[in-house]
Amino acid sequence: MKNFNISIGQLVLLTAIVALALAGCATQASSRYYGRTAAPQDNVLRYITGSEPESLDPAIPTGQPEARLLMSIYDGLVEYDPRTMQPIPGLAESWQVGQENTEYIFKLRNNGKFSNGDPITAHDFVYSFQRALEPSLAAKNAYLAHYIKYAEEFNSMKSFVKDKNGRFLLKSDLETPAPPAEPVPLSTQPAPPTEQAIAQSEFRKFVDGPTRLTVPSDEKSRNALFEKDPKLKALMAETELVAVVASDLGVEAVDDHTFRIKLKQPAPFLIGLLGHQFFRVVHRGTVEKHGKDWTKPSNIVTSGAFRLKEHRPYDRVVVEKDPNYWDAQMVRLNGIEFYPLEEQTTMLNLYKTGRVDAIYNHTIPAAWVDMIREYKDEYMNHPEVAIEYYTVNVTKPPMNDLRVRQALALAVDRDALAKFRKTTQPLIDFTPEGLFPEYEDIRSKVYDRELKKIGSTLDEWKARKFDPVKARKLLAEAGFPVTGSEGDWSCPSFPVESVELLYNTSENNKSIAEFIQAQYKQNLGITLQLKNQEWKTFLNTRKNLEYNGIARAGWIGDYMDPMSFLKLFYGTNNDSSTGWTNPKFDKLIDDANRAADPKVRFEKMAEAEFMVMQDQPVLPWQTQKTNFIRKPYVKGLYPNPGTLHAWKFVYIETDQAKWDQNVDTIFSTGDAWVTENLNRLIATQPTLVEREKGYMDAKKFGY
Amino acid sequence: MIGFILRRLLIIIPMALLVVSLTWGLIRVAPGNFYSDERSLPPAIEENIKRKYGLDKPWYQQYFLMLGNVTCRTAPDGDTSTTGFRFGLFGTQFKCFDFGDSVKYLGKSVNEIIFTHLPYSATIGFLAYILALILGLIFGNIAALKQNSAWDYGSMTSAMLGLSVPNFVLGPILVIVFSLWLYWLPPARWGGVANIIMPVITLSAIYMAYIARLTRAGMLEVMRSDYIRTARAKGLDEKSVLLRHGIRGGIIPVVSYTGPALAGLLAGTVVVEKVFAIPGLGNIFIQSVLNRDEPLTLGIVAFLSILIMIFNLIVDIAYGFLDPRIRYE
Repeated sequence: MKNFNISIGQLVLLTAIVALALAGCATQASSRYYGRTAAPQDNVLRYITGSEPESLDPAIPTGQPEARLLMSIYDGLVEYDPRTMQPIPGLAESWQVGQENTEYIFKLRNNGKFSNGDPITAHDFVYSFQRALEPSLAAKNAYLAHYIKYAEEFNSMKSFVKDKNGRFLLKSDLETPAPPAEPVPLSTQPAPPTEQAIAQSEFRKFVDGPTRLTVPSDEKSRNALFEKDPKLKALMAETELVAVVASDLGVEAVDDHTFRIKLKQPAPFLIGLLGHQFFRVVHRGTVEKHGKDWTKPSNIVTSGAFRLKEHRPYDRVVVEKDPNYWDAQMVRLNGIEFYPLEEQTTMLNLYKTGRVDAIYNHTIPAAWVDMIREYKDEYMNHPEVAIEYYTVNVTKPPMNDLRVRQALALAVDRDALAKFRKTTQPLIDFTPEGLFPEYEDIRSKVYDRELKKIGSTLDEWKARKFDPVKARKLLAEAGFPVTGSEGDWSCPSFPVESVELLYNTSENNKSIAEFIQAQYKQNLGITLQLKNQEWKTFLNTRKNLEYNGIARAGWIGDYMDPMSFLKLFYGTNNDSSTGWTNPKFDKLIDDANRAADPKVRFEKMAEAEFMVMQDQPVLPWQTQKTNFIRKPYVKGLYPNPGTLHAWKFVYIETDQAKWDQNVDTIFSTGDAWVTENLNRLIATQPTLVEREKGYMDAKKFGY
Repeated sequence: MIGFILRRLLIIIPMALLVVSLTWGLIRVAPGNFYSDERSLPPAIEENIKRKYGLDKPWYQQYFLMLGNVTCRTAPDGDTSTTGFRFGLFGTQFKCFDFGDSVKYLGKSVNEIIFTHLPYSATIGFLAYILALILGLIFGNIAALKQNSAWDYGSMTSAMLGLSVPNFVLGPILVIVFSLWLYWLPPARWGGVANIIMPVITLSAIYMAYIARLTRAGMLEVMRSDYIRTARAKGLDEKSVLLRHGIRGGIIPVVSYTGPALAGLLAGTVVVEKVFAIPGLGNIFIQSVLNRDEPLTLGIVAFLSILIMIFNLIVDIAYGFLDPRIRYE
């Protein structure tokens, strides 16, 4: 071997050099598209949707990854508009709203079918709703349905109270001095005057009648409640408990194709909520027969445009076109392969090598954005119904001082932050900008009115994006004077030891926190300490107000309505993680929900939003943008506000001449096929036709 | 010998229980739980969840229930679970090793999850070990027999490289070269043979390097020992000396390394599984901890700890066969 003197090390090195040289030749075949770009021949879309689904039972999962997947295999009363995520008819052809926004009557299609061919009727919806709220199912999303009459009571195992005369106590009995000694027998009650009302069934009388009083079925929590409420305890003497059961729920199959929902309180956004997978229809026979195993591929029966073909956990969920689907003639894809993946680099590698066609939102790492956004036919970056902000613990000094909170809100240059983040836009209020045009119009009028009352103007309000001079002034007024000059501010008296910036561990959150830390240093001369915690620990700390100062937060709307954001501050023990609460705010929200006129409703909500922002328990920073990529041949997949795609609108275009170009303008570039189908679907619901006309007039969504 | 094996098997039981109890304690100490999320749950819904998973019981009851699930317990009435071993004794139905259902992935039992995902990890782990063993032994032997030659330096340099380049660096380098530049191999996911080439190479590198070094050291020592000299003295040719006497002694360090290596390959494929998005057990294990999926975490911990202890036992038994100086009483 003396004359062949080459070491293994040298050999490895040589191989590497050859490989790199070869690689150099092979790169950059085409530069218009990112990596390999060829429409799949089998007409099956390959999509990365995020983490492994918790369950394929639509009542269970809470995440977006599952929402996207489940939308393909289950249909609901309504579907999401692929562009705006507003509701469009699904299994319900049309609907009517009555009784001051508390009654919804849906007319169902008569050709709805499950994947096994069974017809879908109003009874299936009744069952699906009742089952989803079953306490033993313990669905986390159940709160979405708590607007339905007796839903919360059923879901949280409450009981009605029947007195010794067999009369059910009412909620109003608690408010009025005492129940009448002699109960009025049902038969002698004044009959409702209209003809329709006379025809009312017993159920209708019960569910539309005055709200009954309920108490916990569990003795321990019942006694705890009585301790706190002696009046209630007195009322409970000599009574009998009747558990609230599924059939007490305010849902009703009027006939096979008429489904009625009765709410306990007005919820004008209900239709928008019903597209959620929680409300989609499941097959009773299958669920009852197989129990917890009903979602196994061999058992499952679905209701959507696609049906389940294969599920390999952590690897793939494959669905195929369902010929039984009522609108099957519209569905163009043969199937979809969903890949549960969360590593961003891995996704982009798969995308580049042409092994996936589209990926979900927020998936392009900040370091790659500049490179990826050059691919204008593929990179989708549009505002979405999600915001980033910091919460303030208003219960501890110095953050209990409004002026300090305002100073912190004003001292960050939001434009610079957006530029730094690349995938967001500045935010000064609590509802995302650019998604609720009708609300924003009304809000600016309300703000203008409210601001005039306190001697300010709308322009001044808008300057809240960044106003370091005012921030320093406010801080000084609060007793922490800022001295020095531009570029060298200092605020020695500010108690930095009791104000920290808490975030949950992630590179992204860290870089934002450092940016904001630097802004405070630069503009106020304050150096806040950064502190990070693992996600679940962080949630605990923030929720229990165990943090000092400020903490990172984000919020994604459940439905396309500003209420989805404002409700965070509703109630004394609210979800805002700030310790802020205000009964006046709660009153405004209640009024808004009761308002029959959408304009009045928005006005009340705008007043409520103004109230929160005046008090600054949160520091709003950014509205998020979709930030994802998809191949140019994938059409009908829009960067909508929640990245929830109505899959029957999605198709693969094999003709390269028809591929999408410059997707920044995707909402104003029409797609004749999508328009045609949208118009066909909304034609049965007049309010939607009107809304679509509004969009057209406003030159929004140039369809 | 049989006494020794029985003793060792019996020790596994308290050891596994200890490991599981400690893990359970750690999970309970960690803040948060499987159902906590960005939005806080209404108290009533939280109650439903607690009731469903028995979290409303006192902690010691929960602890003993957990111990019962991990080992053996009486099957409750109306038990819908079907996994694990079950048997009837004295008119009572018992069940063993039924770790219960995952609390994150609804309707999936822990046993089902473990046995769905184990084959992925086992496949790449096993292939990687075979590759590491073959190449490691070859390089190690070459290095030992041609000590201080270019072959020796060459293979030992690459072994050092293999040891010092972590697999989360090696994996992405392979991906960049063979997937993103050359478009030869898929960059990730499970699938055909092409999908497992890079994961197997990445995973085996460190073991290959270690085995090569162990073999070289072992062989060098053995080839200088007296019994090899005896073998040579009685006139055996070099080939027989090496194959019949040398290797047997020379690979003992490699055998003792096999136990931890196999266990490590099964449990420690986490990084490679993450890099290449392989649905293996390592990936699931990490995810279960992040999800606070207590039954799944405990199930995997119990399973892996027992597996590792059994591997070590097998290795100890193998010693006895390989080295005549070692005997178990």
